[in-house]
Amino acid sequence: MKVLLRNCHKALLTASLMLAAVQASANGAIGEHVNHLQDNLGEYTEEVNWVIGKIDTMVDTYEAKGAKAAESAQVIEIWEAVDFHAAIETNYVPVYASIWQGLYGVKEAIDAEKPVEDVWAEQEKLEQSLWQALGAVKLAAQYQQRGLLDEIKTTAGPTTPIATLDEVKQRLDRVVAKYAEQLSEEATSIVHDTYLNLFEGVEGALIEQDAKLVEELEKDFNVTLPKAISGKGSVDDVRGVVSDMQAKLDRAKELLKKAESERKDVF
Amino acid sequence: MQRRTFIQALAGASLLGSLPLAASRALAATAGALSVDDLPPLKGELTLYLGRGEGGLYENVLQAIQKRNPDFTLNIRRGVTAALANTIVAEAKAGVRRADVFWAVDSGAIGLVNDAGLARKLPADLTGQLKEGFRYDNWSPVTGRIRTLPYNTGKLSADQIPDSVMALPDSGLSIGWAPAYASFQSFVTAMRLLEGEKATGEWLKAMNKRGKNYAGELGVVMAVERGEVDVGFANHYYTLRLKAGKPDAKVDLAFTKNDAGCLVNASGILALSEGELPVNFIRYLLTREVQSYLASEAYEIPLVGGVAPPEGLPSLATISPPKMDLTRLADLRPTLDLMRSVGVL
Repeated sequence: MKVLLRNCHKALLTASLMLAAVQASANGAIGEHVNHLQDNLGEYTEEVNWVIGKIDTMVDTYEAKGAKAAESAQVIEIWEAVDFHAAIETNYVPVYASIWQGLYGVKEAIDAEKPVEDVWAEQEKLEQSLWQALGAVKLAAQYQQRGLLDEIKTTAGPTTPIATLDEVKQRLDRVVAKYAEQLSEEATSIVHDTYLNLFEGVEGALIEQDAKLVEELEKDFNVTLPKAISGKGSVDDVRGVVSDMQAKLDRAKELLKKAESERKDVF
Repeated sequence: MQRRTFIQALAGASLLGSLPLAASRALAATAGALSVDDLPPLKGELTLYLGRGEGGLYENVLQAIQKRNPDFTLNIRRGVTAALANTIVAEAKAGVRRADVFWAVDSGAIGLVNDAGLARKLPADLTGQLKEGFRYDNWSPVTGRIRTLPYNTGKLSADQIPDSVMALPDSGLSIGWAPAYASFQSFVTAMRLLEGEKATGEWLKAMNKRGKNYAGELGVVMAVERGEVDVGFANHYYTLRLKAGKPDAKVDLAFTKNDAGCLVNASGILALSEGELPVNFIRYLLTREVQSYLASEAYEIPLVGGVAPPEGLPSLATISPPKMDLTRLADLRPTLDLMRSVGVL
């Protein structure tokens, strides 16, 4: 399959525009390599090429010998075998979600025994996501070298309402990622946990600023998003709900920033 | 008697050692909140374990204290209150003490640490500043919150709401609640301690037939305001904050009398290490300025005399909360077992 180099530059540019705002805190087991991205860029690049090669072989096998011989279930093992997996998960969750979406796109097209042109189309989307992800990690490595990224931590919590809302937005990206990984229960659990442990702590202050906005977000957290997940719609459907919530959270951030600037001093 | 004891305590030089004379005089005169200007400057280094609280406002208080005391370094470890309490106990068992002070959003966690024998006794002049019913030897409440029954003013008037929480299931009203919410569970713990296991289990069963579940208590208050339910269970500040953002909101507060339905719970602080610095740090949280700030900005109830309650809340003197040692609310396990056994959780 043909690697889409022409998309790489575009992906890097897109990533550069978005990366400054994203610094995910990881949970679960991640390697220390994520705090030394620059040293591992060579390995990550090899891994991306390896993943693309393995998927390409799988699709060629499908074209030549059919779905059973292609062993489509291996797409997950292939992706989970590489360290690059954690590098992108901890640095840019939206693309991480797209990779999972691409992996399942290939797998499901093969399982459904679709024409090989359809499988290629899914493969192309996956490759775009992988190159975009590598671009994002390279940029993150530059930021990390300049000391602009915090060390990836597993326990630190946000200390201000604005930081809390940023964390909420990042966790919503993880909801999409987990849904794309077809881990619906985990995605739902992140929604509930994010609501109870993060959003709930700032919504009291927010409701003083815009009661209607809180009402909408309450519904999004407790009805709309869980329903979108349990309804087994497409990843794009869930991403749509999350994007809408993130736009509302940006409005919330502006409101709280303004309120905080007007707040009286303690002493 | 309390006041006489308090003045006697003030007379003890050992208890006044860390306070300047002006502060001692101010205390003797008011037995209420001091101004920050009356306190000695903080010097040295402390480690505070801080249970996550009111959306950044506690952080504002801590920053202000640091700014006011340039020779004071405050190291803060933040986390979920219950987890920090468990950490403190575990560290003590391992022979380690990393925290000098523990500020918890609920008194149950304070009880856990206190029961482990780790809290230092606080001076009587400090605890004497607190309102009656909130004076404890080994810890200090900081601010309070009261359990309320928010009700829809378009559908009901206050006199249609029972003044006994135990009567609610038979009231015919539709009720919103958030059983998974920590404050609600503390309220059930209080009911268990006041009314007994059996009566609480029956109350929960009856309520389960009428109650509509919500994830959090702000959600309960908003549902009441929309008229989705007639009445709900929630801490007072959600209603006050909703009304601040939506002054025509159709919701007001009702209170039961002398039962768990109007329990006043509190955030609290305790000192884990000896010396003047942890105690004087606690004094800053009880100042008129900090208490007023948390009342006006976080709608929390000041527990030190002479500071006005948040706007929209009747004074504590007009409400009749039950008498309760708040540290007993640490006994959460039987509550969760009970709630699970009747199918509420």
